Amino acid sequence: MPPKDPESPPAETNASPFFTVPAPVKRLFDKFPLTTYPANEIPRRVQSHDNVNQLFVFTDARGARHGRPSFNPQCLKWQAYLKFVGIDFEITPSNNHASPTGALPFLLPSLPTDTSNPIPSHKLQKWAIEQVHCEEEQQLNLRFEVYASLLDHRIRNAWLYMLYLDSENFNAVARRLYVNPATTNSMVRAALCHQLQQAARDELLKTSRYIDAADLEGDAGGAFEALSTLLGKDEHFFGRPNPGLFDASVFAYTQLILDDNMGWKRNRLGQLLKEHPNLVQHRNRLLKFF
Amino acid sequence: MVLQLHVWGPAFSLPSIDAQCLAAIAYCSEVLPKDSWELIASSDPSVSPTGELPALQNDSVWVSRFRNIVDYLRQYSEGDWDLDQNLDEVQKADSVAFSSFVESRGQPLLDLSLYVTSQNYYTNTSPAYGALLQWPNQWILPPKLHAAAKTRTEHLGLSSLDLQAMEDQRQREHNAAVASGQIPKNLLPSQPSTVSKLLGRTAQTNQFRLVALTADFFEPLEAMLARTKTYLLPADKDNETPSSLDCLALAYLSLALVPDLAFPWLRDAMRSKAPLLAAYTERMRDRCLGEDSTPAQAFKPEEPSKLPWRAPERISVSTVGKTLLGTLADNTPFLSEVRQNRRLKRAVEEDESFSSVEKQALSSYADASTKDMFVSIAAVVAGTAALVGYMVQVGLLSFERRGADEEEFEEDVGMSHFEPESVNDILGI
Repeated sequence: MPPKDPESPPAETNASPFFTVPAPVKRLFDKFPLTTYPANEIPRRVQSHDNVNQLFVFTDARGARHGRPSFNPQCLKWQAYLKFVGIDFEITPSNNHASPTGALPFLLPSLPTDTSNPIPSHKLQKWAIEQVHCEEEQQLNLRFEVYASLLDHRIRNAWLYMLYLDSENFNAVARRLYVNPATTNSMVRAALCHQLQQAARDELLKTSRYIDAADLEGDAGGAFEALSTLLGKDEHFFGRPNPGLFDASVFAYTQLILDDNMGWKRNRLGQLLKEHPNLVQHRNRLLKFF
Repeated sequence: MVLQLHVWGPAFSLPSIDAQCLAAIAYCSEVLPKDSWELIASSDPSVSPTGELPALQNDSVWVSRFRNIVDYLRQYSEGDWDLDQNLDEVQKADSVAFSSFVESRGQPLLDLSLYVTSQNYYTNTSPAYGALLQWPNQWILPPKLHAAAKTRTEHLGLSSLDLQAMEDQRQREHNAAVASGQIPKNLLPSQPSTVSKLLGRTAQTNQFRLVALTADFFEPLEAMLARTKTYLLPADKDNETPSSLDCLALAYLSLALVPDLAFPWLRDAMRSKAPLLAAYTERMRDRCLGEDSTPAQAFKPEEPSKLPWRAPERISVSTVGKTLLGTLADNTPFLSEVRQNRRLKRAVEEDESFSSVEKQALSSYADASTKDMFVSIAAVVAGTAALVGYMVQVGLLSFERRGADEEEFEEDVGMSHFEPESVNDILGI
């Protein structure tokens, strides 16, 4: 045993041996704080655009400068929707920790300037309708919600599988886009990777006991076929003259699945999607907005 | 060979307690000739190698999940047993989209109504499972299903329907108040937790959320039915026969409408918001599922009924052993992860539609994550050993017993001189 510290309180002998602070650790902590730094300044890039709506999405610095499509389907959906209805905004790279709801995207409106309340994604449509008086498309067609469930479940599940649980794709795409920008520490990266994959697995196991890749891909194939039939020969879904929320939701997945810059190693969804030329053309038409 | 459909058993006077099973029963009774199939209320997912119910057995072939069963029957009969054969392109697209809609919106509502709403779970659902499950599954499966339903509906933010969670929360707040010492324990008001009191606080917010959720689900279906009049997606020109979508919709809607629950918010919502849909559900139920089904009917099918019930086999000792071991393994932290990876692997290896490359990649993924797990176990063990070593070295943890009698103390002095060095030697510091 090391010699007893003369300064240690005499009560120590009564205390459990498990809860005494070992002398070297105590000596170390006695030195704290070594220095106290002044508080960080608010990042400059946030202050610089006071008069523009700021949409916070998953993207990299270069993508943000050129307003490129985000690499996250949920973010891309709202990014595309706001573009389609003609709202001016800038995108800012961000992550979930920055969001008031814990999920991206969210928008910091430029007006009114005094109250800068962020708008989470589920209120974005309402906000956009107030801004530019576009239609609430859900009300116009009873099939909107029905076909939207294809995107929100069947295609999303296949997407989760392809991006997170297919190990080659995960290493080539998800690790590069979501994990590597977050930190340079390899231990933290490993932990983040594990968390991401586990979250995807839990999400898929919620609805079934097994993760059956063939089933997920079959479902996604059926969903693409149904969407292709719904679109038919029209320019936009439900025969609208301008693209709207449903087009944005479809584009969010078709763009990322067909984008060569994503660097997919195994793109089964891409093969399924290319069987429907009208969906591919739909994506190419909408890509011109960016 | 007679086709055998294994399902969860009858409850609430419906032939099955599970929506997917009900859909499969309705589909089979609509499409299969009466003597070509049997219905078995095995109520145990482990009967099927796929580990899921409903499961259709044809000799050695097992098919599970409603959609796969529909596909299998079409292929097996070379197109004869297919309700959807006359649908055109647009109707097929509608069928896919509405099926996805019914499953994704209907399941959370049923989860909320039958499992998460505490009064209903404890007064109706749990006893229903008790009546149709055999020992030991009676004790193992319902809590699992209850927990699964809770996780599925977590994101809806309606946990206040769950009285147990509310009570836990209240208890925690209560304990926190006591622990912080702000209020003497005997002065704290002991709130009697009556149902109405607990619900009263959040009933209004709940009501708004529930109205929105049920409206989202019922409105598109009601509008669709208002156009077609007879069935959601009639499979022929005269609107006389239902399609596979109707079977699926019947399953989810009948579980919403038929059960006589303690807190029938879902049935009330359906009757008030979608009267056409309620009438349609009754009509479809008469047509496909027949009269009231009881567990007795399923387990001792003597009287002839509309559905070709066949008594399930008695549970064997080995099955009981397997169930118990499986449950034990699933509840052991590390083993459960290994089993989860195996499940993925096995599901993949059995699937013939995978190319060999894909198969290899997937099973190597499953292997890799098993390996990851062993590495993390090893890391934890090594870390613990290092920590213990360190604690011994600095004297935080010593194997001497202070305050014991003198003799031992003498010995320990010798020990404690020796010990740090030996630990240093071992760790090579």
